Amino acid sequence: MVSVINTVDTSHEDMIHDAQMDYYGTRLATCSSDRSVKIFDVRNGGQILIADLRGHEGPVWQVAWAHPMYGNILASCSYDRKVIIWKEENGTWEKTHEHSGHDSSVNSVCWAPHDYGLILACGSSDGAISLLTYTGEGQWEVKKINNAHAIGCNAVSWAPAVVPGSLIDQPSGQKPSYIKKFASGGCDNLIRLWKEEEDGQWKEEQKLEAHSDWVRDVAWAPSIGLPTSTIASCSQDGRVFIWTCDDASGNTWSPKLLHKFSDVVWHVSWSITANILAVSGGDNKVTLWKESVDGQWVCISDVNKGQGSVSASVAEGQQNEQ
Amino acid sequence: MEKMSRVTTALGGSVLTGRTMHCHLDAPANAISVCRDAAQVVVAGRSIFKIYAIEEEQFVEKLNLRVGRKPSLNLSCADVVWHQMDENLLATAATNGVVVTWNLGRPSRNKQDQLFTEHKRTVNKVCFHPTEAHVLLSGSQDGFMKCFDLRRKDSVSTFSGQSESVRDVQFSIRDYFTFASTFENGNVQLWDIRRPDRCERMFTAHNGPVFCCDWHPEDRGWLATGGRDKMVKVWDMTTHRAKEMHCVQTIASVARVKWRPECRHHLATCSMMVDHNIYVWDVRRPFVPAAMFEEHRDVTTGIAWRHPHDPSFLLSGSKDSSLCQHLFRDASQPVERANPEGLCYGLFGDLAFAAKESLVAAESGRKPYAGDRRHPIFFKRKLDPAEPFAGLASSALSVFEMEPGGGSMGWFVDTAERYALAGRPLAELCDHNAKVARELGRNQVAQTWTMLRIIYCSPGLVPSANLNHSMGKGSACGLPLMNSFNLKDMTPGLGSETRLDRSKGDTRSDTVLLDSSATLVTNEDNEETEGSDVPADYLLGDVEGEEDELYLLDPDHTHPEEPECVLPQEAFPLRHEIVDTPPGPEHLQDKADSPHVSGSEADTISLAPMDSSFSLLSVSHALYDSRLPPDFFSVLVRDMLHFYAEQGDVQMAVSVLIVLGDRVRKDIDEQTQEHWYTSYIDLLQRFRLWNVSNEVVKLSTSRAVSCLNQASTTLHVNCSHCKRPMSSRGWVCDRCHRCASMCAVCHHVVKGLFVWCQGCSHGGHLQHIMKWLEGSSHCPAGCGHLCEYS
Repeated sequence: MVSVINTVDTSHEDMIHDAQMDYYGTRLATCSSDRSVKIFDVRNGGQILIADLRGHEGPVWQVAWAHPMYGNILASCSYDRKVIIWKEENGTWEKTHEHSGHDSSVNSVCWAPHDYGLILACGSSDGAISLLTYTGEGQWEVKKINNAHAIGCNAVSWAPAVVPGSLIDQPSGQKPSYIKKFASGGCDNLIRLWKEEEDGQWKEEQKLEAHSDWVRDVAWAPSIGLPTSTIASCSQDGRVFIWTCDDASGNTWSPKLLHKFSDVVWHVSWSITANILAVSGGDNKVTLWKESVDGQWVCISDVNKGQGSVSASVAEGQQNEQ
Repeated sequence: MEKMSRVTTALGGSVLTGRTMHCHLDAPANAISVCRDAAQVVVAGRSIFKIYAIEEEQFVEKLNLRVGRKPSLNLSCADVVWHQMDENLLATAATNGVVVTWNLGRPSRNKQDQLFTEHKRTVNKVCFHPTEAHVLLSGSQDGFMKCFDLRRKDSVSTFSGQSESVRDVQFSIRDYFTFASTFENGNVQLWDIRRPDRCERMFTAHNGPVFCCDWHPEDRGWLATGGRDKMVKVWDMTTHRAKEMHCVQTIASVARVKWRPECRHHLATCSMMVDHNIYVWDVRRPFVPAAMFEEHRDVTTGIAWRHPHDPSFLLSGSKDSSLCQHLFRDASQPVERANPEGLCYGLFGDLAFAAKESLVAAESGRKPYAGDRRHPIFFKRKLDPAEPFAGLASSALSVFEMEPGGGSMGWFVDTAERYALAGRPLAELCDHNAKVARELGRNQVAQTWTMLRIIYCSPGLVPSANLNHSMGKGSACGLPLMNSFNLKDMTPGLGSETRLDRSKGDTRSDTVLLDSSATLVTNEDNEETEGSDVPADYLLGDVEGEEDELYLLDPDHTHPEEPECVLPQEAFPLRHEIVDTPPGPEHLQDKADSPHVSGSEADTISLAPMDSSFSLLSVSHALYDSRLPPDFFSVLVRDMLHFYAEQGDVQMAVSVLIVLGDRVRKDIDEQTQEHWYTSYIDLLQRFRLWNVSNEVVKLSTSRAVSCLNQASTTLHVNCSHCKRPMSSRGWVCDRCHRCASMCAVCHHVVKGLFVWCQGCSHGGHLQHIMKWLEGSSHCPAGCGHLCEYS
């Protein structure tokens, strides 16, 4: 089902911690322990290095592309406690903003849905989550949620933009009042859901408890035609959960164990139509999961990194405890 | 003596026990040094000078060396060092430039032994010779280094660095006569202790002050230096020119560096600025610390490995007035915390996956490498085969592609581009779209389109009143309405027998539609019933040819299943089935999900009505007319759309929504529709299908969606009078309060297409300006600007 089309020679001098494709799927940003962020043009299976961004003073953990309506903007976060926002101007990438409001390694960055404007959520090992909002003219406003996760926050993921009620009810000319929400996962083994109150303050809305070790990644599924909210989470404990919330109030979340892997699960990533979940684990494999008609999650394919070949391992899916 | 024996045991067995612990000091520490018995540590600072015993559970204060009623400046220590051969001998460097030695063997309370007051400024560092018991070296802010023989009252020799202040001096562990010194100007000098006149070698090691250096305990000639430039560099001093072996980049300036015992490539560092943590680095992996100790609340000023052959205990003193013992196993290991994998789902369903290469290597080691071309050729950092180690990591990054059906989004683009959403009769749209879907191998979708066509385009759906009405109109030319239905809708759907007659039917329809003016009326009626927004003349002019084309194409598609035959016939039994059983959309889709099931079912079903296909027209007409209300299927269709949307195929949901128009719109709540529309438009834009996206926006019935086109269009203009950007909405300039959208040619307010020159801010009607600039290159407003129109 899956085959390698491209092996990117990144020339990173150390481990790569994140690779993100941009909105149009034409560019790939990678970041590494070697403190650099690189951007490749991967159109048509190519791999042209566009930019090598230096500015961090520690391993760079994660990168995130902003929506192209704001220009070509990339955020990166690092062990050096900094978040750097890079922007392409006239073909050259430059640092446009540096946020150093954290006391420890910043582990995760995620841009809010473009409907909200340019908002970046950053989760750090100091336990705090900061929200950077672009207010125009190079200014960024910072809001901070302190003690969001004891010991540290490992991942942040925004909920897709959903408007309460119809757009039509909105008085014309006025911006629709979105309910901004995001999920975070941390070293307290919890997933927490945050919601912006009317006064602009962020409040914890929910605490999702199922993992027995650090939560490594959370991914809020894109809502493409979906009536429900879905979040995937993975953890050091090897388990991947799919959380769904059906009711309108958004308060009842039920977990469903996708699979228990034998090793740490580092990443979960939704396909853009949210019907396939890619999971990468410490066993160095990527598995693809799809919900079957009866609501079970089935492994439709696994990608063995070492080989790049693929064996459809439905058997693995059947081991699915549920 | 008792103490001695205990220490000997510990050393001989090389067993140290203890835990991570800390104790509070009375004052900030500047430096620490460990006794060679590894059981005591001395802490020195501006106002502290104490010896602590390191016990299993705690530090116990053994001795306060700061005695005397009036604390002398000689006791304000910048550095302290414990002799590694003589347990009773210590030396301190005082901030007032005095070097003091201490003899713990003295019976009196004051253990001070000798005082050397030769330096003019603060002594930064003192160092005992590793093997020569009486030799002490000092380095001072005044730029001099002095060597003392403790048996004499003054220095044996003075070394002048000829540069700035000396920050560190260290005797080589292996070369008896050699010592290194580091300077504030970034230089490192190598001296022979017998030749005070000039240094053996000098090189610039860092940009800015070199705060510290440390000789490798085993590798002869390896010197680690740390500087304010936040780097630790490892030099090979054995070669003719000092060769930089490794360079570690830390987060803050490096104030202390100490090689880790028994670990060839490890060294510990701390900073005296900003960063409170102590890091242990593997010099081969210069970007991520191997371990990190985070106990201190203020900067760490002194670090020392507890025993020269034990890599697990590190002692540290800090400005936060505490003394700590760190256990290596308790250290936080950023490498372990670090995410070794990156994963991203790309837009087209491709996966980018970066994984740690050592893992990869292990993996491929287990399975024989087949040498398949598809296998990734991983990027590999060139490793020195002589030096295999696990600590270093590099990653392999590969991009994987989904094969068709596996989640690749190729079909999405194809479908989006090829679907017809409007501008033709419903039946044709459905047929066309079904064909597109089938060609892309999406049989379920194709089936759905065909079914939709049957449900909504069959004669039964036409309300009888409307029929009569058309009949009434159509009777003028005596052409029964049935004919047009037959031609338009049933022809492609009927069996092969019907198809034989088709050419005849087609020509008939052509003549009918083109010749008879009355048919136009009929046609219009058809249009109405089909709910298409296109005006009738458009249909006449444009669609006719298409229709033919479509029909002509059909015989070329000799599918084994003959879907043209199967589908209409399937529709009949299906209806009966639904009448009998509660119409569950899941039920319906279940079957569709597995093409085998539905296929075979369709086959069996198709057998029955095959023979009756001749009479199909009349029978079905009667059937529909009497039995099936038009809304009969709406629930089913609604559920089907929801199903598609849930499956992530919002494209299908929206396409059907647009094609069916009012037929289903009322059944699906506004908000859901809007959500589908926005989701689909969003997707289209991601795939850069601007035209399709625009079409969808245009065709959408949701007000919120259709206004998207306007909302996202911004026009930046300057006021044509004051030439400043227009900030407010509308066309009246804030500043000069005049209307800015005047045409420079005709002097009327422009409504519609407005073009303006970015050079002089003048503009006007597109047509006028174009015309003007054909004849003249100057601005029509007469401002003298040479406008360019491209």
